[in-house]
Amino acid sequence: MADSQVILDKVTEIIRELFDEYDGPVTMTTTADDIPQWDSLAHVRLMMMIEMELGVQFSTSGMLGFENLGEMVEEAAKQST
Amino acid sequence: MTNCNFPWRPPLAKDWAERLTEIEATLAEERAPDYSTVKTLANQQLGRREQLLVERLAKKLKKAALIDDAFAPMTIGLLGNRTLSYLPDPLAAAGLARGLSISSVEAPYDSVASFAFSPANCFAQSLDAVLVVLNESALASKRPLLDVSAEKEALADAEELFVALASAAKQKTGCPAIFATLPAALQVSSAELATPGSSARFRQRINLLLAEGAIEGKWLLWDQAALASRVGLENWLDPVRYHAAKIPFSLEMCPLAADNIASILAAMKGKSARGLILDLDNTLWGGVIGDDGLAGIKLGQNSPEGEAFVAFQNFVLGLRERGVVLAVCSKNTDEIAREPFREHSEMVIKEDHIAVFQANWSDKATNIKSIAETLSLGLESFVFIDDNAAERERVRQELPLVSTIEVGEDPSFYIERIAQSGQFDHLPLNTEDISRAESYGGRAAAAEIRAKIGNYDDYLTTLEMRMTISPFDDVGRARITQLINKSNQFNLTTRRYGEEDVRAIENDPDQLGWQVRLDDKFAQHGMIGVVIVRQDSKEWMIDTWLQSCRVLERGVEQRVMDSLFEEAAKAGVENIVAQYIPTDRNKMVSSFYSDMGFNVDSENDDGSVDYSCSVQDYEPHRTFIDVSLEK
Repeated sequence: MADSQVILDKVTEIIRELFDEYDGPVTMTTTADDIPQWDSLAHVRLMMMIEMELGVQFSTSGMLGFENLGEMVEEAAKQST
Repeated sequence: MTNCNFPWRPPLAKDWAERLTEIEATLAEERAPDYSTVKTLANQQLGRREQLLVERLAKKLKKAALIDDAFAPMTIGLLGNRTLSYLPDPLAAAGLARGLSISSVEAPYDSVASFAFSPANCFAQSLDAVLVVLNESALASKRPLLDVSAEKEALADAEELFVALASAAKQKTGCPAIFATLPAALQVSSAELATPGSSARFRQRINLLLAEGAIEGKWLLWDQAALASRVGLENWLDPVRYHAAKIPFSLEMCPLAADNIASILAAMKGKSARGLILDLDNTLWGGVIGDDGLAGIKLGQNSPEGEAFVAFQNFVLGLRERGVVLAVCSKNTDEIAREPFREHSEMVIKEDHIAVFQANWSDKATNIKSIAETLSLGLESFVFIDDNAAERERVRQELPLVSTIEVGEDPSFYIERIAQSGQFDHLPLNTEDISRAESYGGRAAAAEIRAKIGNYDDYLTTLEMRMTISPFDDVGRARITQLINKSNQFNLTTRRYGEEDVRAIENDPDQLGWQVRLDDKFAQHGMIGVVIVRQDSKEWMIDTWLQSCRVLERGVEQRVMDSLFEEAAKAGVENIVAQYIPTDRNKMVSSFYSDMGFNVDSENDDGSVDYSCSVQDYEPHRTFIDVSLEK
């Protein structure tokens, strides 16, 4: 299992790239509500970018079910070695 | 699947980010950034990040209404039974790369049936095309396996839907429908196509039905099935997000899909390429005709490469049949360049097929311009094919509107890259298209323009050339001997020496043997020149001066000559003498010594010319090569 902080750093980088108008903090408790550009379309794109960058795969059931960024990061950390 | 979605596009430029910043600065000043600058930026092997940035740029350009008039505006409707919301941004980006400004209007979710069969109009504006992407579930009612009549009925229903959608598009938005073909289905058995009612069979029959309708002019096609099979079905599909996000194909494939669709839109706007300009040596055949001769070039059954070149020539001739006009642009002596066309039995392309034949020693960009002028076509109508990365770079710098496809240097990939590029995309052909190439042939006259165009020095600087000059040695001997015996064109005296002669020169204090190597930022060219000088205390005589034709017009000969005179000056030599001996192959260097600053001493009966140049009077040339001289 990979270090959550390392994963969060990578995810943060992707979020900065994708949501270029947002410059607030990115933490484990960040949710889509915090970032105006993070709509349902962008969500799918974000998930894809994270999958490609980290070499992980989110499940069909998990795709829309994360409460916050932390849950996504933990799931990615679980899959990374 | 390769890492890069767009292998046919130029590699990402080192200064890509700076160019983007410049474009954005222009936008900030409320001026429309230049057409070819924007197009060039978008038409590169974009990584994920650059793709995102081009998509954003496309949005900004449209929002600020500061898009160059040269971009053809197009508005297309998107209609499907899965979400197509991920297409508009990549479509806008792909449009920039093809000279289009594409705006998309998405139909609300699940409005296929109402658009087709009710007066409701989900678009409410006039469009240039309606792209319809339906999957099997939108088309097929339940079909029990082996029930042939149920299959027939499902096909009839689907056709009815297509016809209704096409006529709705025409009536409600005044434009044609473009239907996506259906990608192949994953197979349960190898007998899918022979199993009525199976998905695989149904999809194939739907695709044929769509093809027939396109022939009849009822609608246009986006061959999604062909693209999916090109990248592989496993890459094309994303089962998780198909269910979780209702996407018809993988998001990762959106830039490629968008480019594929944009090439159809470009064809609708008449932006497809109409001409193909071909280099010759190592592009149409293997090797250098001027050096290797008719029997030496690789073409046909004599080698694997030779077969690949024949396959490529057949492909090119196939393009011509579709109305593409062919031209040749090659650094060669005209007569020699025409030899294979006239005399090589394996040559598929003949002289008659070439509308304009430009074989000379000037710069390729200049020749391409003259080809365009001769054919009265804009530069943007041309695709240029050359195996040489430096030539491609030069043409891209000078003529950014010409599509210089990244074919690589292996002839086995030329066809693939050109096909993938979509540059020759066209709508269903008519007989007029077929006869077009012939008419160009009739109009074209032989053209010859030798005027140089600007910035050549800048180009040479960007090549970052490094030259090494070293005395003959063990390592170089074999290649030196090969060059001495093979070089015909850039060879002043055409004197042949064997390996033992070369070894003798190495050990002779009265002879100077130089081997010249060149590297640049694109390639290590290896040994590209050989010079042999007979040394006397007061006078040196250039016995042999030859160069490979791979690196012409780079200042190589000037730089070597400068070095020779520097060495002569150090040795206290007063004079250098030289000779040109004409053959039927070396006309290109007939004025070599005059150009270098030598004076004619005598013109002899056998056609040879003696030259001399005093070391004191010699003027060094302006070159752009770093040289290191080993002793």
